[in-house]
Parts: sequence; structure tokens; C-alpha cells
Amino acid sequence: MDSDAVKKAIIRQVLVESNTNNSRQLFEARYHYRANEHCFDKCVPKPGSSMSSSETTCASLCMEKYINAWNKVNQTLIQRLQAESGTSFSA
Amino acid sequence: MDSTPSFTDADLARLSDSDKQELKDFIDKESKRTKFQAQSHNLTDICWKKCFATSTIKSGALEKSEETCLANCVGRFLDLNVATLKHVQSMRH
Repeated sequence: MDSDAVKKAIIRQVLVESNTNNSRQLFEARYHYRANEHCFDKCVPKPGSSMSSSETTCASLCMEKYINAWNKVNQTLIQRLQAESGTSFSA
Repeated sequence: MDSTPSFTDADLARLSDSDKQELKDFIDKESKRTKFQAQSHNLTDICWKKCFATSTIKSGALEKSEETCLANCVGRFLDLNVATLKHVQSMRH
């Protein structure tokens, strides 16, 4: 491998790892737990002996909303950072 | 997905100075991006409590009022963060 090939291979590896990390983050560990907790509060106020169909529907809409909320928050943060630094920023 | 490539010291020694600098810049940028996304996760958690506390979920899409609430929540959280920082700094003097 020459210098350029080594550089490109390292960049590719870093991207694969950080992207896998981030998509995992949204659904796993404490972020998954937080989304689950928020939607549980919202959709299952009084837990019965099984999930009702309205609870199941609510849960799936709630998860979708949570992801949309994440996107809105992320987009707002980017805009704020761009306004403050006056430079373009991609995340 | 590729299997994890491994780099030997010999490979790394072949990097030119300009490529080394480019890699350093790239890794700095990636690490900022990761931290930034972690902040998005935290703020989604915080702002969900503010913006969705009393509403019932009728659809997965965000309503206009919810979008506004989220944007305001993020903005004011950051404002408060700056104010808190200034306050703490002033206590040192």
C-alpha cells in the first residue's frame, strides 16, 4: 500500500466504526432505554395483563415520533452551531 | 461489510506528512461529530419531557407546535448553559 491507500483505508475504517456506533446508540443501551421509558409512560399508563392493540399502536407511533424529535433536535443544534461559528458544519 | 483491515507499522510509516495531517484533521472532525450526536441524544431526552409531557400521541410525525417547542427547548437549554458557565466563572473571582 502507498501513502494514499493507507490513508483511505484508515478513513474508511473510522467511518464504518463511528457510523455503526451512532446508529447503535439511538436504539441500544441508555438511549433505547430512554425512548422506551418515555413511550412506556405515554402509552401504557396502567399496565394490564397484556399489551392492548391501542397500546401497541401508540408505542409504534411514539417510537417514530421520538426519532423525529431526535432529528429535529440534531438539526436545531447544527443551525445554532453554524450561526455561532459562522462556518458550515456537517453532522 | 469489510472485515476489519489491520495496519502494520510499515504501512503507517509509508504515510506522507500531508496525509498524516489530513488524517489528524479527519479524526478530529469525526470525534467532534460523535460528541455532537451524543449531545443530540441527551437533548432529545430532556426536551421530550418538556414538549410531550401532557400530549397524547396521535401520529408519528411531529406537529408544527411540537417542532417549535423542540427548537425552543434546545435553544434555551444552550442559553442557560452559557449563563450557568458565566455564573460559575464569576464565582472564582
